[in-house]
Amino acid sequence: MNTQLTKLKNNVIEELKKIAGSANILTEYEDRYCYAYDATAIGEELYLPDVVILPENKYQISEILKIANENSIPIITRGAGTNLVGGCVPLKGGIILHTSKMNKIINIDKNNLQCTAEPGVIVEKLQQEAEKQGLFYPPDPASLKVSTVGGSIAQSSGGPRGFKYGTTKDYVLALEAVLADGTIIKTGGKTIKNVTGYNLNQLITGSEGTLAIITEATLRLIPDPEERQVLLACFDSIDQAVKAVTGIISAKITPSTLDIMDKNTMQTIEKFHKTGLPTDMDAVLVLEVDGFKESVGVQAEQVAGICREFGAENIRTSRNRQEADEIWFARRSAFGAVARLSPNVLTEDAVVPRNKIPDMVRNIRRIADKYNLTVCIMGHIGDGNIHPNFSLDLRNKDEAKRFEKAVEELFDAALSLGGTLSGEHGIGFSKSAFMHKALDKKNLELMKSIKNVFDPKGILNPDKVFERR
Amino acid sequence: MKQLKDYSEEIYKCTKCGFCQAVCPVYRETGLETTVSRGKFTLLHGILTGKVEFSSKIAKYLDMCLGCKACYDFCPSGISAEEIITAARAENNKLNGINLLKRFIIWCFKSNMRLRLLKFTLNIYKKTGLRHIAGKLADKLGKLGEPISIFNLQLKENIEYKKLGPAREKTGLKVVYFPGCIGNYVNSSAKNAVVMVLEKNGIEAQIPENLSCCGISSRSAGDMDTFKMLAEKNISLIPDDIDYLVTDCASCGSAWEFYPELFEGGLNQKAQKLYEKSININKFLDRIDLYIPENIALEKTVTYHDPCHLARFQYVTKEPRRLLQKIPGIDYREMQEADKCCGAAGTFCIVKPGISQAISKNKAQNILDSGADVVCTSCSACKIGISQGLVSLNTKKQVASPVELLARLYIQEENTS
Repeated sequence: MNTQLTKLKNNVIEELKKIAGSANILTEYEDRYCYAYDATAIGEELYLPDVVILPENKYQISEILKIANENSIPIITRGAGTNLVGGCVPLKGGIILHTSKMNKIINIDKNNLQCTAEPGVIVEKLQQEAEKQGLFYPPDPASLKVSTVGGSIAQSSGGPRGFKYGTTKDYVLALEAVLADGTIIKTGGKTIKNVTGYNLNQLITGSEGTLAIITEATLRLIPDPEERQVLLACFDSIDQAVKAVTGIISAKITPSTLDIMDKNTMQTIEKFHKTGLPTDMDAVLVLEVDGFKESVGVQAEQVAGICREFGAENIRTSRNRQEADEIWFARRSAFGAVARLSPNVLTEDAVVPRNKIPDMVRNIRRIADKYNLTVCIMGHIGDGNIHPNFSLDLRNKDEAKRFEKAVEELFDAALSLGGTLSGEHGIGFSKSAFMHKALDKKNLELMKSIKNVFDPKGILNPDKVFERR
Repeated sequence: MKQLKDYSEEIYKCTKCGFCQAVCPVYRETGLETTVSRGKFTLLHGILTGKVEFSSKIAKYLDMCLGCKACYDFCPSGISAEEIITAARAENNKLNGINLLKRFIIWCFKSNMRLRLLKFTLNIYKKTGLRHIAGKLADKLGKLGEPISIFNLQLKENIEYKKLGPAREKTGLKVVYFPGCIGNYVNSSAKNAVVMVLEKNGIEAQIPENLSCCGISSRSAGDMDTFKMLAEKNISLIPDDIDYLVTDCASCGSAWEFYPELFEGGLNQKAQKLYEKSININKFLDRIDLYIPENIALEKTVTYHDPCHLARFQYVTKEPRRLLQKIPGIDYREMQEADKCCGAAGTFCIVKPGISQAISKNKAQNILDSGADVVCTSCSACKIGISQGLVSLNTKKQVASPVELLARLYIQEENTS
């Protein structure tokens, strides 16, 4: 029962209550039990935080950090807890800072094409508000209906639109963040161009809560494309699909989405939802083109033509919003369908150069066969970011072990093809053990010294990104 | 009846993707992981694997669910939190007992004698002018008077029963109408409207004597014994050789869906048969050749709120809207988030008044933004939730069921001819 009690001293808890208010501090075992996980399947391991705090503003966060730093208490920031690499899991206990109450959009500056938001704002909410002003915030992680601005910056999230529009990192103009010692800093600025000194913005973006805690972000917006059209094209082999993609890009067309799903994924989707995907084809491409009304039709026609040239069958082109939604529904139900196969889903996100995708897919299939695992392959073919979704039951110790081995081989394969460990999910603690394979010693040393400058006591999301000490 | 442990695989299936946060009205107000289905599944998994003790503390986490089923449609793994939490509440009641407040509410609705007494007292309150005195007092009390205002709004009877000349020939259909306890004992307006509308369309609906409360609030509180007792009484009073069992209150409608699983053998068969015959009034009227008078109109701007128990339990969403749009003169406006819970949710509004009010307030704001002057819904509990929201925003709007508006049209026709 001892584990049920918080390790923090009473006076620390009292001080925290004074800062954030008693109602925003959770210390009961049952409350903390519900903050011991994120969206990563970690089996029956339990990493209990000592306290959960729901801060309301940056000043509270600053005061909380001063106490945490003084007492060397680990502090883990959590947005919606949709992290897939265990980033929000409190490995060493400590404080969970849940940003759900800091959820205001501060402004949308239409003339300067930017907006400022608190970290707890939901990404989709930001997109909707921007759209009302005729503007567009492109980053679209699959979790965008729940995931937060703060979390997506900390992870530098991507999404299907990465190929044309880039990822979260390409939209961060300025950040306000709190350092480990409680100092509030501002990085970047309101201008698109900015080479005044080192780019600290980009250093904090994607740092997974290990360097600073983001309390406000100014994000770049772009004009909302007038029209969008979605195409679905089926291929006999993944090689042909990749060739078609290369063909599309060579024809000087830049689709806003270039997604792929393999046969297993299509069969799994069709098992649960009847979306009309062909279950006998090897791969399907989901393509979206956008732009001015006149150009979209032309692009869609050309894309369809090129796909046909490379042997595509059953090409479907959306003629209206509803048909587009239907195609997107099929693509978006992929994760859910895999989730229904077995209790646990583990989504990997190694990334390789685009022309190596057929090799990577072959490798994934070979490794899955070798370790007798069920895998559905989907992902963003335009930027080489492939997501093998492994469906398994972690209670089955043997299966869990086989999965562990498979993942290591998967990373080796990606690295040998010139790719890297993660495209958009991050390292967290799921992949930290493989960092030395992806980066050379000096590189890692540099990163660790940066971490040390920002957070000398190592209280910010400890044991993430770098291997556990 | 399935027990909590029977759901252990279902609970384990939660991949912890957290998508339930997007649609949970309670999470929107609290921002707490413990209030969302992912948190509750984790806690229950902890209980089932022995890591968390099923102590009396668990009840407060289980209370934080409206049972609105919004997360079910959104859950990639297709897990029904509503079912699981109901089972967990039942288990909690066995281990730790039911909360006093809930027990009192269930006790009130459990016996028809008490309900009759309630009706008698309410009649005095309504007819002696006490209601108006209380209403005036409530206005003066401000925030403190809100419960009285909400209560008074529930008693306002819009439709008095009147025998109307039929517009259609007798159909010969054997129809039983189940009005529910609110219709029978608290406010008969919607009940009168259903009877009148059916009569106008050539259907003489039977209402058996002594029907009990449907028991849905005892089910959601996890008091399965009471739920079963009420179910048995209701089932025994209705013959099974009928063509339709009509309900208008969304909660009563879903109660009939839940009845069969409570029993075995003959009673189960009868419950199943009656469940198959059960139909919501909006759906029923959508299927018949509904009489719509010509040369008469109801000049009103109307919006519609989907009761959770109608939209996500009985899948009735289009029919009430179609009914409203058939009424001449009605300017129908769709509100934002029409199918989001109103916040009443059975005993939730009494056990968690703060959160319930905040959810109702959101609903009321959406109603105001729609620009409608009448808000329609087909559930007695939703009427409370909507009134609660409107009172908290200091506005008054007519709250009625679509059938009440249709009845009003018929009455208007009768009065002008």
